[in-house]
Amino acid sequence: MKIRQHVALLVAIGILIAACGDDDDSETGTADEGGGGGASGETVTIESGDDMSSILLPKCLGIAVFDQANEGAQEAAGELGTSEPEFLGPATCEDPTGQIDTMTNAGTQGVDAVMISNNAGEQIQSGVDSAVDAGVSVVSWDSPIPSGEGESLFVAQVDFDETGVVMADMAIDIMGEDGGELAILSASPDAANQNAWIDAFETALQDPQYASIELVDTVYGNDDADESYNQALGLVDSHPDLELIMAPTTVGIAAAAKAMTDEGLCDTVKVSGLGLPDEMREYTESGCAPEFALWSFVDLGYLTYYVTYGLVTGQLDASEGQAFVAGRMGEYTIETDPTRDQGLRIVMGPFTVYTAENIDQA
Amino acid sequence: MPEALRTRTWELLLAAVLVATVVYNATQSPVYLDVDNFVNLFHLSIEKVIVAIAMTFVIVNGEIDLSVASVMAFAAAVLASLHEGGAVPFAVAIVIALAAATGAGLLQGFIVAKTGLPSLVVTLAGLIAFRGAARVLVEDRSVGDFPDWFRSLGRDEILGPLPFAVILFFVGLVVGGIVLHRSTFGRVVYVIGDNPEVARYSGIDVARVKLTLFGLSGFVAGVAGVLFAARLGSVRANIAEGFELDIITMVLLGGVSIFGGSGSLLGVALSIFVVLNIRNGLGLANVEASVQTGVIGALLILSVLAQNLVDRALALSQHLQDKRGTT
Amino acid sequence: MIRPERLKELSLAAILVLTVLLFSLLVEDYISGRIFNRVTTSVVITAILAAAQTLVILTRNVDLSVGSIVGVTAYVTGDYLVGHPDTPALVAVGLAVLLGCGLGVVNGVLVAYGRVPAIVVTLGTLAIYRSWLIDHYGGRTITTDSLPPWVVEFPGRTLVSLGDLDLRAVFVIVVVIVALLQLALGRLRWGRRLYAIGSNPEAAVQAGLPRQRLVFGAFAASGALSGLAGFLFLSRFGTITVVAGQGLELDSVAAAVVGGVSILGGAGTLLGAFLGALLIDVLDQSLVRVEQVSEFWRNAILGTLILVAVVGDVTLGRWFRRRLSAQARPETAEVAQSTTVAVVGDA
Repeated sequence: MKIRQHVALLVAIGILIAACGDDDDSETGTADEGGGGGASGETVTIESGDDMSSILLPKCLGIAVFDQANEGAQEAAGELGTSEPEFLGPATCEDPTGQIDTMTNAGTQGVDAVMISNNAGEQIQSGVDSAVDAGVSVVSWDSPIPSGEGESLFVAQVDFDETGVVMADMAIDIMGEDGGELAILSASPDAANQNAWIDAFETALQDPQYASIELVDTVYGNDDADESYNQALGLVDSHPDLELIMAPTTVGIAAAAKAMTDEGLCDTVKVSGLGLPDEMREYTESGCAPEFALWSFVDLGYLTYYVTYGLVTGQLDASEGQAFVAGRMGEYTIETDPTRDQGLRIVMGPFTVYTAENIDQA
Repeated sequence: MPEALRTRTWELLLAAVLVATVVYNATQSPVYLDVDNFVNLFHLSIEKVIVAIAMTFVIVNGEIDLSVASVMAFAAAVLASLHEGGAVPFAVAIVIALAAATGAGLLQGFIVAKTGLPSLVVTLAGLIAFRGAARVLVEDRSVGDFPDWFRSLGRDEILGPLPFAVILFFVGLVVGGIVLHRSTFGRVVYVIGDNPEVARYSGIDVARVKLTLFGLSGFVAGVAGVLFAARLGSVRANIAEGFELDIITMVLLGGVSIFGGSGSLLGVALSIFVVLNIRNGLGLANVEASVQTGVIGALLILSVLAQNLVDRALALSQHLQDKRGTT
Repeated sequence: MIRPERLKELSLAAILVLTVLLFSLLVEDYISGRIFNRVTTSVVITAILAAAQTLVILTRNVDLSVGSIVGVTAYVTGDYLVGHPDTPALVAVGLAVLLGCGLGVVNGVLVAYGRVPAIVVTLGTLAIYRSWLIDHYGGRTITTDSLPPWVVEFPGRTLVSLGDLDLRAVFVIVVVIVALLQLALGRLRWGRRLYAIGSNPEAAVQAGLPRQRLVFGAFAASGALSGLAGFLFLSRFGTITVVAGQGLELDSVAAAVVGGVSILGGAGTLLGAFLGALLIDVLDQSLVRVEQVSEFWRNAILGTLILVAVVGDVTLGRWFRRRLSAQARPETAEVAQSTTVAVVGDA
């Protein structure tokens, strides 16, 4: 088992490197299309100067990873000497209309920027349009605006296609070569990142090395602990041969793990996906969730704030090829987002796969 | 206190609260009085307030319809799934969705009228059942991809700065006001709400009126659901969840008695504006939506409490006057 | 002659048995320990809330704030336990119950003494309690691992196991509470008074009953029971958000109504409400297992079934009453229908 986990880690890192390499290729490939006159070759170091009023708008409040993103954003604001971003969000992830409300009000309030992790799918468009009309810059992080319209830039924590591969690798690792039945427990059917990851996962599974894995169901827990808990139990009830619940949501994976533990099902059904070490520790140590992955949300918040500041103060152009240095995170380059029809992104990277071995260091 | 006087005092109080709220909000935010903000006022609540007009009729009649939010979702789900199926032209799909919603209302109205079951119970079952029907239609997914003209109907300005839904609301308010306060049907609605037995003995077909009102409630919920779908751009089974509480609160805050037989549409209109202004003002102050609802809830309780205290004070003074008269 | 309430309870029990039999035909391996365990664990919260709601509905009122009370008590108790992990179990439960009682007292004062209609008050407190919770705690979630282990393990504690079938401690406790309340309501004087207030408020007041105190008591009790449900909620889910308990009020009314409690007051029993909660939960849990029925049909079927149950109850009730009054003398038919007579005979 030990060797398998190390191999998985290496494979994940290897894929990461390969993916980064691919990004470079796509970049040079499209450079000829010559989008906006933006900076080509000149790397801008984002520096403090004017103030910026901003709102950090997570999918909803009460989720630890978003609190971490807020930490990062506050850290960045501290370094740049700007006003702290207002951390606003709906009380529950089930109803996306709270995000539309905040986005629309931002225009009336006259803030400089809104940084949003989009939980409202396409429904957010009306809010984004009215904010942009009022002169607000909209930057998305974690979960983008599907159409890419109105959004200056998307700060992606990882490459979304790669997420599918990482999940597939963890799945085959946990279930073994014989594979078996697997089901997905997602968050909101409107969450752009969730849908992208699920698509990527389904695509990854088509590769022959994962042929023994059968995806039998996808259910939604809306990032609500009760609902995710009940959905996990429902999966086991409707699919008695289920071996793995893959939950690419920190709320879902924790709820599923608790559900399996409460019902004593951990021997037959394992849980994996994207989770927070603090929430998953007991389940990883008990073997219920032997492997799961994540990235640093603190870094994501920090990076998002820096980039937004750069855009609002005009130090950066939201155009392909623009390179910049964002504080302690280092250098990034804006590129077109290959996972959507239009839109720009920067990819933060990397994944960390947690197992019983390294979870104590988390 | 005679009914008409109570209603008028309630309306005056609401008007005062409205003015106070607008003034306060305007001092807090310079952009508050802009026309654009006026439209934004209705922003997230336009579907609710349209349904509130129909709900006024239902509650004045002595009934209640808890299923309106679920019927909204049901109509939206019918529209979305028909459109997804591609078998019918979109305009026809809209008609079918509205018919389905009206049918939902009529079904519940029939049960209430024929079995005499309390509408609270019947529409509670309806709330669960029609939400379930919406789930059957769109399952867990988010279904949309509506034609552009439909999307723009939901969002763009049609008459000046006003979107279609807002215009519809004002038209509905005027028409509703005329029907409720100036027509025979309206009078009948009040009479039944005040005393159904007396109404029956006067020869009024109570069952038919109730059936009509529930059908109306379903139809209006259907319209609201379709408009909601146009504005959001996509439909999920859980849209409009919890709306019924807001809608009922708006009507009760407008001075309509939960027992039926009294209240005015003007009062409800004022209460709608009060609620919208409070929500908008609080929203601009970044107060979270559920906290806004708490404020409105407190306002609701205080208003009825105040009304009761005034009643008791008047009764007491009347009582003292009588005593003085007899000594 | 069987009293109407007993008849209702018996018919509910019969329907329950029929339902189980029906599902055993549709689903393989249906009759097993697993379904018993699943139902008994999940029904406890709704069962307590159904009892709470029944007490209020009997007085011709309704309590829509129970969901928010569950949320507040679950969260506050959880938060307290996180900060004071050495709190003894009884103190923790007591805290939840007392807090719930306090919230119920607010309802009671407004309805009984402020003369504000129950639906208005409880709609308002539903919103106010929830908004306080969200405002006070922001978006923070209480996580399972921060709670003392005994809290989270409580739902799993089993008293006795018969093979696959576990008799969980929680379930037994809830059954005992409901049984005790049922006895109290049937035997004690205030129990019969509660029925009288609901079935004919004016006559009851004229007969000298303390209407306000009784209604106040009903709401306080409802709050206390909701607090207990809040504690059960905390221990079942572990992870508590500020929106915990949302929507439970409708479940409690549905359970009571299916259980034969008349929304007009004065009729119905706690045992009936308990059976109603059980029936709904069995339906809910069983529909998942029927292969032909996708999970999306659950709510639609549930709502229809509630409607059928209530319509059936009314039409059957009328049919029965007509038969009974045809058989018996007119006066005794009156006795069978109204409990006000019992109260007048008491005074």
